[in-house]
Amino acid sequence: MFEQLKDIITNYVEVEPEAIKPESRFMEDLGFTSFDFMSMLGELEDELDVEIDQQEAAGIRTVQEAVDYLSKLEQQ
Amino acid sequence: MVNSTIREILVNAEQQFGQEDAVRYKVKKNEIAAKSYTDLRADSEDFSCVLKYLGEQGNHVAIIGMTSYTWMSAYLGTVNSGSIAVPLDVSLPAAEVCELLNRADVTVFVYDEVRRDAAELVKVQCPNVKYIISMQKTAENSDDSCLGNKAEDTSKNQELSFWQLNKQHGGKCDFTPEADSLCTIMFTSGTTGKSKGVMLTHRNLAENATCLDMKLPPRTVLLSVLPIHHAYCLSMDILKGISLGSVICVNDSLIRMAKNMKLFQPDMILMVPLMIETLAKKLEDAAGLPAEAVKREVFGENLHTICSGGAYLNPVMLDLFEQYGIKILQGYGMTECAPVISTNLSWYQKKESVGQLMPNCKAKVEDGEILVQGSSVMQGYYKMPEETKEALEGGWLHTGDLGYVDEDNFIFLTGRKKNLIITKNGENVSPEEIENRLSEARLVQEVLVREAEGIIEAEIFPDYEYAKKKGLDDIRLCLQQVIDNYNQETAPHKKVYKLTVRETEFPKTPSKKIKRY
Repeated sequence: MFEQLKDIITNYVEVEPEAIKPESRFMEDLGFTSFDFMSMLGELEDELDVEIDQQEAAGIRTVQEAVDYLSKLEQQ
Repeated sequence: MVNSTIREILVNAEQQFGQEDAVRYKVKKNEIAAKSYTDLRADSEDFSCVLKYLGEQGNHVAIIGMTSYTWMSAYLGTVNSGSIAVPLDVSLPAAEVCELLNRADVTVFVYDEVRRDAAELVKVQCPNVKYIISMQKTAENSDDSCLGNKAEDTSKNQELSFWQLNKQHGGKCDFTPEADSLCTIMFTSGTTGKSKGVMLTHRNLAENATCLDMKLPPRTVLLSVLPIHHAYCLSMDILKGISLGSVICVNDSLIRMAKNMKLFQPDMILMVPLMIETLAKKLEDAAGLPAEAVKREVFGENLHTICSGGAYLNPVMLDLFEQYGIKILQGYGMTECAPVISTNLSWYQKKESVGQLMPNCKAKVEDGEILVQGSSVMQGYYKMPEETKEALEGGWLHTGDLGYVDEDNFIFLTGRKKNLIITKNGENVSPEEIENRLSEARLVQEVLVREAEGIIEAEIFPDYEYAKKKGLDDIRLCLQQVIDNYNQETAPHKKVYKLTVRETEFPKTPSKKIKRY
């Protein structure tokens, strides 16, 4: 999941894949805007065939938190 | 046709477009349901009757939730019964919701179940709120049956259902609101750090929505993607949309905006610059591919116009989108002006300008600041006479924006006079409000909050003596903890995403205030 997310992240912000770490914060470290982040979640919904709740997703700050949240959804 | 009350807008649209779709929304992944203009009028009039039945007609009704048909019915039912709607940001922390309800003298709270947490806190912290009404609850799981025939039987700890109340106590409502009566209080960030309740009348909102003929044909399909509690969305998507007999499509989540554009196939969308810039990245990535195919993939088949407002948009975007057959019309406004002050038009625009003055607006420039007057200018700030006096000097609204008006009445902005951050998604943020909150931490001696590269940054001069006394080695980490704690308790648009730690005090003005610029 981490590798998959890394690929998608590079479609939204200009960052080298090796600079993306589990502890990277989307806005502070990777330069996401709130709208980039929402758009990326939309793409992930299709890729993983899950339904993401906007309110829940708003609490995600780091790449690892996103991996955990998406893995949980995939298992449901 | 210019309408002076919101009721006129709804009644005229219903008479003209009756059974045609007014609102379309998703019920399942790719399934669309619709409500007609007749439905919208009937459902909103039902809620007007409910307010009368509850003895709340004329009182203040707060509405909190995502954009939905129920939200619109609750809003229209409230204002058309002569009551005052208080739309609230769905992302506000529950404690802030309660504070605003108390400050706005709200007696009825209509909420979307996504804010059940706020509803629970309202029961405890808002003694004036008499009725708490859920937008989703059904007859089976609500306490509406307890209402019986006497509204007095109800206590606010009961779970009431909007639709059940409408069914039991709805009906026709022929109340005719006065054009100059207060109908909506909208909260906006103030420069003093305390949000202010902008008081708007029926005329303010209705004339703003209907005074300009944008030459849009009836049945234009709009996709509403902005938060509905914002004046820009409420006035231009909802009220103007209804006045034109448009089809208003509900974007259920920002996460699904791209998919919803393809599903609803809108002709027009209102956006804030942040959204346009994100879409621009997609267009730039697709450079070299056939424009027709890119447009279809990104925006759907029919999109021809994007109205941009809420913050200033870099005019280079206009040329980029034009290549795909999409016209961006940049506008300008503020909640205090219900909200549109000026807009570019598809047949008359100046790219560097934020548009031509609305027909119901006059403008002048004083000490470089743009001042406006007209039928959309607010009554004032709710229970804030000092702030009202400052903003409305001699009937002219001080916009706080620096700029000029050319000979064709087009407005050009050059900067800001007031210390207010306008984010790219159109939110107003008071730096002082955040500074005051961060200063509560003992470790923070001085703090300055500003916008840097699209995000909110806090620059902090810590109390090094205190840190030494407490044996704090990693001061940066401790300050980040202060910010993390603050971020947890605040609305998303007020979160601080960058920290700079100073080693020296800030330079000061002669009156010992931190120099901002």
